[in-house]
Amino acid sequence: MILFRNKIFWVSLAIALSIILPLIIKKPYIHHMLVLIGINIIVVLSLDMILGHVGLVSLGHAGFMGIGGYTCALLVMNWKFPFLLGLFGGMLTSSAFGLLIGYPSLRLKGHYFVIITFIMGIVLTLFFTNLVSITNGPMGLPNIPSAKIKVGDILFINFNTKIKYYYLILTFIFIVIYIKHRFYYSRMGRGLLAIREDEDLGKSIGINTHLLKVIAFVISTAFTGMAGGLFAHYVKSIAPDSFTFIPSFYFFVMNLVGGSGTILGPIIGSSLLTTTDELSQLYFQPAWARILFGVFLIVFIIYVPMGIMGLVKKLFSKEKYE
Amino acid sequence: MFEQILLNGIFSSCTYCLVALGLTLIMGVMDIADFAQGALYMLSAFLAFLAAKFLGINFLFSICIAIIVASFVGIINNIVVYQPAMKRGASSLIAALGVLLIIQNLALLVFGPAYQSFPLSFAQEKVKIFNGIITVYKGIIILTTCVVVFAIWIFLKKSKIGKAIRAVSQNPEGATVVGIGRGRVSNFTFGIGTALVGLTGALVSPIYAFDVFFGSEIVVKGFAISITGGLGSILGTIVSALIIGIGENLIAGYFSTEYSNLITFVVLLLALFFRPQGIFGRKEI
Repeated sequence: MILFRNKIFWVSLAIALSIILPLIIKKPYIHHMLVLIGINIIVVLSLDMILGHVGLVSLGHAGFMGIGGYTCALLVMNWKFPFLLGLFGGMLTSSAFGLLIGYPSLRLKGHYFVIITFIMGIVLTLFFTNLVSITNGPMGLPNIPSAKIKVGDILFINFNTKIKYYYLILTFIFIVIYIKHRFYYSRMGRGLLAIREDEDLGKSIGINTHLLKVIAFVISTAFTGMAGGLFAHYVKSIAPDSFTFIPSFYFFVMNLVGGSGTILGPIIGSSLLTTTDELSQLYFQPAWARILFGVFLIVFIIYVPMGIMGLVKKLFSKEKYE
Repeated sequence: MFEQILLNGIFSSCTYCLVALGLTLIMGVMDIADFAQGALYMLSAFLAFLAAKFLGINFLFSICIAIIVASFVGIINNIVVYQPAMKRGASSLIAALGVLLIIQNLALLVFGPAYQSFPLSFAQEKVKIFNGIITVYKGIIILTTCVVVFAIWIFLKKSKIGKAIRAVSQNPEGATVVGIGRGRVSNFTFGIGTALVGLTGALVSPIYAFDVFFGSEIVVKGFAISITGGLGSILGTIVSALIIGIGENLIAGYFSTEYSNLITFVVLLLALFFRPQGIFGRKEI
């Protein structure tokens, strides 16, 4: 039984499963869904750096995803950047905007930060729609080339199939999880935890709370921008519709339902809700999925604020102590 | 040209002002940023439209029906969602967004995705004021706004429940100590706030074409206005509604219609960074 309590066993099982999964199930639709889930997982993991670690709600993350997506696609298409460099450019631009918006607005408390992020999300959509000369307006950017990674003459991969793209996304998920894990247990991560529990107390023991919050926000927006770039190269055409406040809102629900402040929570949340959304578009009207999201959100925020992972943890701790 | 823009600006300021007034009452008293009011705005526009067009009821009565239903739904929201959320220390703003999502999509299933509009049969004559032209109906809306805002002001200043509302918004614990029941006050505030939003939705339904996502924009503007003006301040709400309404039309008239919405956000950001308590607000944020 000691095997089942071992963390390393479970982690390696999960990794093995995520690698084999698309090879067992060979339906292209499932592969498509897995890629979408993967992209959402990256966004929700980075959103969790704000919500889970610092306890701040951001409702503008789809806007940052859009910045990353547009920047990456434009760099690759117009300036012939290699894919990875374009992705990095997207991350950089997105985090620059994160700094620009986060630095002043993170001084505000409570509702006001949420409202600012919400409004910034709307403003960003407004720009995507109206800067026609750059973003091609509501028509969106068509014909984004597939992602290619080329290292000298040694390595050349063209991620043109869904399975290949799935593995690309999986690699990025592992990278993000690793960084998030290291971040969480670093000195800075503990400082952020202190802010989440009691900001004034944190200040009193000499934590520069504002600086830490800005850093967390910038890192979070950087990875969201990266996810945007990955999204752009997967769907091959992006339009402002993909980055309105509704997806921002979904990311938040995914994080909340899965459980904030954990690694597994965002993964569970995005898998569950993305599957629901996709299936409902297939079998019912998408409006039903949205209604379900709303109900989920209200029930979870009132009765299960720690999300599914919180419930699981509670269950396990009971077994131990009783 | 300028007079026309000014008239249009005053008209949009009036609709914004009514919505922002409802929001600021709720936000001041309950500390709830109730985005669900956007859905109620849409709902009352639809109700007024359906009642007037298909049931053939007098438009005045259909406005009354819309107001009653809107404030009923608002109070139910308060009892079923916001009160439990507040009691458990959950973010009511997020719960409100959940309610918005539910109501909008239920409406999408019931009313369908099409844009609706219906022309009024009365008060369509055009009046010339200075060099601007405005329909009588828009003039009626402007007058109604003035009357309603004045009535709300008198109500908050003089009536017993109005005083209770102000007391709770200034100091909830203190109000509880002197025996003002928070639950009753909150329901009453929600009733009045949503009635204002519902009234606006029903009033503008013959003017704009609307679909189920109609209210999202105005509710965001309403928040911007109530924060810019200072929470709970009627004068601040009026002033910032005028700034945003007229500024928007000036940009649309002289510069470009696409970016006219941007003035809301610019004004809000400036206010939050330089005067976070609002133009006429006292509460520190």
